[in-house]
Amino acid sequence: MKAGLALLCIVLALASLALGPVDLAALWARDPELARSLFIELRLPRTGLALLIGAGLGASGAAAQALFRNPLASPDVLGPSSGAALGAVLAGYFLGAGVIGMAMGGLAGAGISLLLLLALAGRGAGTTRLVLAGVAVSMLLGVAINLALSLAPSPFALYDLMFWLMGSLNDRSLPQLALAVPLILIGIVLLLRAAPALDTLALGEEVAQSLGVGLSAVQARVVVAIALATGAGVAVAGSIGFIGLIVPHLVRPYVGHQPGSAVLPSALAGAALLSAADITVRLLPAGLDLRLGVLTALIGAPFFLCLIMGRR
Amino acid sequence: MTLSGASAAATPARVVSLNLCTDEYLLITARPGQIASISRLGADPQESPLAGRARGLAINSGRLSEVIEQRPDLVLTMGHDPQAVALAARLRIRLIALPYPTSPAAVATQVQQVAALMGNRPAGIEFAARVAALMASAPKAQPGLMIGGSGLAPAMDGLAAGWLRLAGISQQQGGQISLERLLVQPPPMLIRNVYRRGQVSGPQAWSLHPALRQLRATQVEADGRAFLCGGAAMPAEIIRLKKALAA
Repeated sequence: MKAGLALLCIVLALASLALGPVDLAALWARDPELARSLFIELRLPRTGLALLIGAGLGASGAAAQALFRNPLASPDVLGPSSGAALGAVLAGYFLGAGVIGMAMGGLAGAGISLLLLLALAGRGAGTTRLVLAGVAVSMLLGVAINLALSLAPSPFALYDLMFWLMGSLNDRSLPQLALAVPLILIGIVLLLRAAPALDTLALGEEVAQSLGVGLSAVQARVVVAIALATGAGVAVAGSIGFIGLIVPHLVRPYVGHQPGSAVLPSALAGAALLSAADITVRLLPAGLDLRLGVLTALIGAPFFLCLIMGRR
Repeated sequence: MTLSGASAAATPARVVSLNLCTDEYLLITARPGQIASISRLGADPQESPLAGRARGLAINSGRLSEVIEQRPDLVLTMGHDPQAVALAARLRIRLIALPYPTSPAAVATQVQQVAALMGNRPAGIEFAARVAALMASAPKAQPGLMIGGSGLAPAMDGLAAGWLRLAGISQQQGGQISLERLLVQPPPMLIRNVYRRGQVSGPQAWSLHPALRQLRATQVEADGRAFLCGGAAMPAEIIRLKKALAA
């Protein structure tokens, strides 16, 4: 399955590089320098960010569901996505930080929201309590974002913020890609290294403890990794929801329902799903400017609903 | 309340504006001491080029409920605000909500109407004369593109485009502009609408995209604050733009 998903990612990446409002092949014949510049400075960052942010969200979702042993856990539900958005909003608009400052704000917001979650749920909390605490943290952060929006320096700044919160990969740049790559990659690698421990954790805390897997250590590692993987993504592309929730459910049946083993396929499936969504928003007719974050939510929300209905 | 009916009433002594665009109208037509308060945006130098004239004036947050205690005898605002209109009717406060103007001529008419309300017709006549002079001296329109920080271009038949024509620019496209297409088919003249320079957000970072270095178009900066309303601050901005375009 991993090879298939990797192949799908490559196909989608090539399609993403080839698709755009300008026919690059024709431009190459006419003005190779401009074509090269468009390819490197616009298409490459967009394609790279779609793959990377999707992978980060997918892996984070799988790890969150494994850690909290709850199929409804994901960066959206537990708070790090909202935390990252709030951190980036505060850094960008109220502290006047630049692109790097906003990324740092996003990371800090994601990390703080997860720490708040663990503190609220308490040490060794049951899964239900953790998810409820996550929902509470998410709601609190949602309110804080609304507060930040209503305190925005001007009503026109408010429109800017709203568009930003809807998530998009439109016209992203190489510096933004360079900023996100190392942070998200470190996050994914940390999650992959935690995967065996997450599988052990699925056997129950006592069993895991007897096998030498400490819950606190795994929690700390996974929290930092999710903060890196989602925070950097949100800071560069805005809020893109539901990828982390959907993807682990799509891949888990193929990995024998082992939560830790779902991390890598989830990363690949997340990359493919976000790339496909980003290609879709580009193929929509001109004038219908659907934001990437809105599209993923349009797909994700009904999926979430089906998930809940199926569990009745 | 309609403007024609309102202008017949006595000259108000305590006027409040709840909207940035009516703030600007008041700032160029009201006599000293006539303004009870304007909105906080009208007094913010980052939002209006006329903010310098608002020094020392009281400011409000744009809500009618907040200015009741200022006992205004006239409240001006712009656009659709049914709540304020209903509250004003209940409290018997004279409130005039001007429609959004759609052309420079409509702006000139509104300024004249507000000047008449303020009992200062000469200010309205002077403004209308400045707009008429700009219309008479408008250079032959050449195609160009005005674009905002997030890659959004004002509509081709809108108010901003109407003002641009007086500077000799015919807006050739509206809506979200793709950076790729902009680089491959650059407009002969690009007018960058600069608003809140130095304040970074996701969309505003668009105008800092490294690929824009490749843009092969003559570029001129417009004062985004004046274009927010496209109102009372525009004649001065169009004169400045004309000079910049001719340079």
